[in-house]
Amino acid sequence: MTLTEYRRVTMPLSREDARSLRAGDMVLLDGEIVITAGLPTHHRILACMEKGEAPPIDLQGGSLLHLGSYSRDAEDGGLEILYMNPTTSTRFNPLMPRLIRHYGLTSVGGKGGLDSACREAMQDVGCVYFSFLGGGAPLHSAAIKAVKQVAWNDLVAHYRLVRVAVEGLGPVTVGIDAHGNSLFENIAADATARMPAILEQLARDRAGA
Amino acid sequence: MAITYQGVKTLTAQLYDWSLRRIPEDTKEGLRRARQTETHPGAQRVLEIMLGSALRAEQTDRFVCSDSGVPVFQVGIGTNAKWEGDIKAAIVDGFDELVETIKPPLLKHVTNPLTNERGYKGKDMPLVSWDMISGADYLEFACQPKALGSGRWAAAETFSFPSLADIEAYVMKVVMQAGSQHCPPVIIGVGIGGSFDVAAKIASKATYRPIGSTNPEPVLAAMEERLLRAVNATGFGPMGTGGDTTALAVHVDYASGHGYTPVAVCFNCWINRRTRARLHADGSVERME
Repeated sequence: MTLTEYRRVTMPLSREDARSLRAGDMVLLDGEIVITAGLPTHHRILACMEKGEAPPIDLQGGSLLHLGSYSRDAEDGGLEILYMNPTTSTRFNPLMPRLIRHYGLTSVGGKGGLDSACREAMQDVGCVYFSFLGGGAPLHSAAIKAVKQVAWNDLVAHYRLVRVAVEGLGPVTVGIDAHGNSLFENIAADATARMPAILEQLARDRAGA
Repeated sequence: MAITYQGVKTLTAQLYDWSLRRIPEDTKEGLRRARQTETHPGAQRVLEIMLGSALRAEQTDRFVCSDSGVPVFQVGIGTNAKWEGDIKAAIVDGFDELVETIKPPLLKHVTNPLTNERGYKGKDMPLVSWDMISGADYLEFACQPKALGSGRWAAAETFSFPSLADIEAYVMKVVMQAGSQHCPPVIIGVGIGGSFDVAAKIASKATYRPIGSTNPEPVLAAMEERLLRAVNATGFGPMGTGGDTTALAVHVDYASGHGYTPVAVCFNCWINRRTRARLHADGSVERME
């Protein structure tokens, strides 16, 4: 499949676009995304929420993707990102439902998926999870058009909250859709259901070996 | 002539640098074979995108993953090798210098486990294990950067007089815990027996074995084949979004021990970063992978 055959969606996703996607769809992303790979960053956003303060980068109706990046000051006075890649989302499971609901996020993402509590929050607000290729830094980095904003510079580079303009980022897989379908939960449930048969097959193979 | 501090410092830094920009040939071949046999359309595309990312990293001299992990070395010391200077310090100094000079710069991944603070330096970093190679007159260095993505899911449990069925059921339990999260298709290392530390080391060393190589122990060769089929029957697939290809290889090794038998299971993500070279007394470097 060539890149031209993938559907392209504009980021941040509109609520309507988010709800139009189905688990298993693969798409390319154009527009602006907000990224971080840091647990401390999530704690700071939650602290903003609790104090009723705006986070340094607006998240309302937007995206919050678990992507880490190396950003630095460019020679022209702007900012540049040298590389960008996803991190494992599941470690943010306990924090994501509140963030998804409070900011009405339309997309989250990273790699490895999120749990059922997140999936429910996503269904409630109309939000999808994009699964990015791990080990995809050369591809993801090439999709960066501009670094728009970097916040919380006291944190290590990949923990900072960064707003990035991208073109053709992906293809990414819709891992969890806004209708309560999660590839990750479905696959894990199928694997669990299949495990007795898998273990029986191992026993047969051992007997035959 | 003797192997020098400077030689070790330069080579170990290079091995780490090289490992970040190119995935091993056996791994690319494994992905290509998986692409041919994979029946799930989405998984076929993910495998294609993986191969595309690997190719682009090579062509543009980029890091395959932004998470460069932490430097992990296995050093084989030839029993006839001669060296001068502190080769242990050379590995530390080589990494320190690389941090200053590498382009693009590394992210700070060296983590103090007591405070979770991250930087470029830390206690016992790089992580090095040392073995002897009988009769060799060289030092052999293998580098395998490890990161949270796949490192997080390694596990070990100690059994008493387990059957092969017990051992294999445990491997499958650890595979289920990792699920979709370790950037599959993975290379799985299994270490059986010895003592707690030995089992873990065997498992880790097993991941270095080339994909497609046959275990010289017939019992283990058969175990590897059936475990690979079992892991791929789970359906997690590339990046855990479904498919037939959850692992590219399962490599098992063992050591004799007492009746208590630790079983250790660890994973390398699909990019399977791995480099290896020998350093000879005349200063020549024999790059192996």
